[in-house]
Amino acid sequence: MWIYEKRLQYPVKITKTCPKTAQLIISQYGGPDGELSASMRYLSQRYTMPVKEVGGLLTDIGTEELAHMEIICAMVYQLTKNLTIEQAKEAGFDAYYIDHTTALWPQAASSLPFTAIEFQSKGDAITDLTEDLAAEQKARTVYDNLLRMIPDPEVQEPLKFLRSREVVHFQRFGEALEKTKDKLDSKNFYYFNPEFDKEMFHGKL
Amino acid sequence: MSGNYLAIVNVPVQEWGELYSEEEAMNIGTIFHDLNKPFFAAESVLTSINPIASSEGNAGKTKEQSDREQLMTKITQISFFLDDLTLYLDTHEKDIQAIQLYREKIKECDQLKKQFAQEFYPLTRPCIPFCISDSEISFCWQEGPMPWEGACV
Repeated sequence: MWIYEKRLQYPVKITKTCPKTAQLIISQYGGPDGELSASMRYLSQRYTMPVKEVGGLLTDIGTEELAHMEIICAMVYQLTKNLTIEQAKEAGFDAYYIDHTTALWPQAASSLPFTAIEFQSKGDAITDLTEDLAAEQKARTVYDNLLRMIPDPEVQEPLKFLRSREVVHFQRFGEALEKTKDKLDSKNFYYFNPEFDKEMFHGKL
Repeated sequence: MSGNYLAIVNVPVQEWGELYSEEEAMNIGTIFHDLNKPFFAAESVLTSINPIASSEGNAGKTKEQSDREQLMTKITQISFFLDDLTLYLDTHEKDIQAIQLYREKIKECDQLKKQFAQEFYPLTRPCIPFCISDSEISFCWQEGPMPWEGACV
C-alpha cells in the first residue's frame, strides 16, 4: 500500500517555456535509465530478496524513485504548459505534440517508448544488486549530461538534487550487497543462488 | 564483517559522520558530508539558501501564500532529511545516534504536517482529521494546488 503526499520531494518552479529542454529531460521519465525504470526495477526485485532488510531498502528506494518521476514530470509539464505551435515547430517538439499534445507520456529523449526491457529482475540477489549499482551510475551519467546541456538554473537545481540522490542510492545498494555477502561463504559467493536454493542458503545461517 | 574479495563488488559500509542542516541538505541532495560528490559542470549553479520559497519571488504574494510557502518549505526540508536518514537506517539498523535523530525529526515533521492541515489543506489522507475547514460541506482532500503546478512550492 502507498500513501500519496501532495507535495514534491524537491520543489519545481520553472517560469520559461522550453520544449527543447522538455524533450531532453523526458528521458528521465521514460528513458532507459529513467526514474520509472528505476522504480519498477527495485519494486519488482524486492519480493524474492533472500535478506529481509534488502527487500526493505528496495521498497524505500523504489518509492523514492516514484517521487523522482513526479519531479521530472512536473519539470516537463511546466516547460511545455504554455507551448505555442511555433515554439513546438522550432524546437522539434512537433512530432511529440502530434501524438500527445502537451500531455506526459513516458519516452526516451530519442523518442523510444518506455519499456520493461530496459531493466532486469533476475532472481539472484548478487546479480540484481549489481544491476542496481550500475543503474544508479547510468542515471547519474544522464544527469551529468543534462547538467552540461541545460544552463537554466530553474532547471539545473532540481537536476542537481536528483543527481546527488543517485550517488546516495549507489552507496546504499553497495551496503545491501555487503549484507547479502555476509550471509554467504566468502570462499565462493557463487556456489548457489540464495534466492532460489533456499535450503542451502538457510543451512548457512 | 565484510572484507575485500575477488570477483565481486566491494563497497565500504558508511560510518556515521557530520551532517548538513535541513536547509543545506535540501540544496545538496544528501544530509551526509561524506556522500556529497558534486559535478563540476553544476558547481556554478547558485543555490539560494532557500531554493523553495526564495524571497525575491515574494512580491505581490498574499500573506496567506507566503505563510503557506514558509511552512511548506519547512515540511519539505525536514521530510527530505527523514528520507535520507531512512535509507541510512535501512542498512544501519542498530545505529543509536541515527535512531535517536530519526525519532526527534519525525515527531517534528508530524507536528508541522498537522499544522499545515489545520491552517491550509491536508498533504496526506491521514492528515484529513486535522482539517478544521468546512469539511462537513466539502471534502478537504481536493483542496490546495496540485504539486506539479509549482504554485505552492
